[in-house]
Amino acid sequence: MNYRPYLLLAELTHSCPLHCPYCSNPVEYPDGRELSTTEWRRVFEEASQLGVLHVGFSGGEPLRRADLAALVAAANAAGLYTNLITSAVGLQRPRAAQLREAGLDSIQISFQSDLETVADQIAGTSAHALKLQAARAVRELGFPLTVNVVLHRGNIDRLEQIISLAGSLEAERLELANAQYYGWAFRNRAALLPTRSQIARATEVVAARKKQLLGQMDILFVTPDYYSERPKPCMNGWATRFLTVNPVGDVLPCPTASAIKGLRFDNVRAHPLAWIWSQSDSFNRFRGTEWMPAPCCQCPWREIDFGGCRCQAALITGDASATDPACALSPHRQMLASFVESVQKDSAAIPSFVADPGRFSFRQNPK
Amino acid sequence: MMSMDPQSRPALARGVRLRLDPITCEPVLLFPEGVLPLDAATRDIITRCSGQATIESIVVSLAREYDADPDNLRLDVCECLAELRQRMLIAISK
Repeated sequence: MNYRPYLLLAELTHSCPLHCPYCSNPVEYPDGRELSTTEWRRVFEEASQLGVLHVGFSGGEPLRRADLAALVAAANAAGLYTNLITSAVGLQRPRAAQLREAGLDSIQISFQSDLETVADQIAGTSAHALKLQAARAVRELGFPLTVNVVLHRGNIDRLEQIISLAGSLEAERLELANAQYYGWAFRNRAALLPTRSQIARATEVVAARKKQLLGQMDILFVTPDYYSERPKPCMNGWATRFLTVNPVGDVLPCPTASAIKGLRFDNVRAHPLAWIWSQSDSFNRFRGTEWMPAPCCQCPWREIDFGGCRCQAALITGDASATDPACALSPHRQMLASFVESVQKDSAAIPSFVADPGRFSFRQNPK
Repeated sequence: MMSMDPQSRPALARGVRLRLDPITCEPVLLFPEGVLPLDAATRDIITRCSGQATIESIVVSLAREYDADPDNLRLDVCECLAELRQRMLIAISK
């Protein structure tokens, strides 16, 4: 198979003004100093030569980088499509205009809820009102807007209102992404995972509104794989299409790969990106199907779902090469199933992110 | 919401870019959340989505290019455009 990266996720910093308890950033931040403007410029040029067509600026909060406009311009000069993935805290109109000028193609803004009080509780800071202002400025400047809402037990019952909020902001896209249980989210999963009946209701709401909003807004709804029979085809197969460069220059096959103990990542300060893509141990470790244990290695689905997610296998079973327990055929399925069942009893108790702080770890910033 | 009919004029939606993939020299659509490599049929439709041409005139133009009967193409063109529109890759106006 011919492996080629199409998309680069550029995690510019792990610093963030928000403290969402479902953040998928690593719980232990990597050591080292952030890449400089010049180092990022080289990364974008090398990525483009390698076949990358699209870069997502992410973090943490990418707006925390004072040189963001320069980085957008550099990626643009390298021929990449540029998308800013942001909390919008710090995205006042002049800054947005500066990014427009630098050639930024699109902006994705996260919202935590349609209700300001709930949203600010989840974010651990007063951000909701700033987001609304920023979203309006983004539209006035002519950017396409994607609204992203991470769903969990505490906000999934307000999908109707959340969809209306995205509609009122004239977003072209709404990503209703159930929390993925990595990083801080894994630590908090007992309080975050929606119940089975919540997911069923949400699925109905989305189907109806999707039909209604056809041609106005594309709604993407990703159900939690904890409730599926088959695992997700994570990253479309390990190290086949995606690259992540983290703030200190480590190159990862997926943004959460640092959850896998013992996987060693190579750094853009030590190697060209092309070398890392083809030679790095971490990239080759789970490429193709050779690494697969039973039952994956004989499974007719092995080229379809690639055995699911390596990070999830590592987090739940302790073994990154095990079949993802989100698969009904996994020998470790029970570890996931018993957790899912334990959550159903909680159905009446929608957690308050403030009244019950003992149940959560809010995301912390690097020291 | 505006519905799609033969007199609608499709154009690339805001933030969507059509470009040649420098590696394969094949056309791709770049949009806020990703990359969509295009097959030849979709490419021929998309390159005609100028915002000026109506869907009917796109069908006629394709029929000429393929030396085909427009009636045999119309359904496929509409299905393709409907799917692109659902993903907010094209927008339509009258």
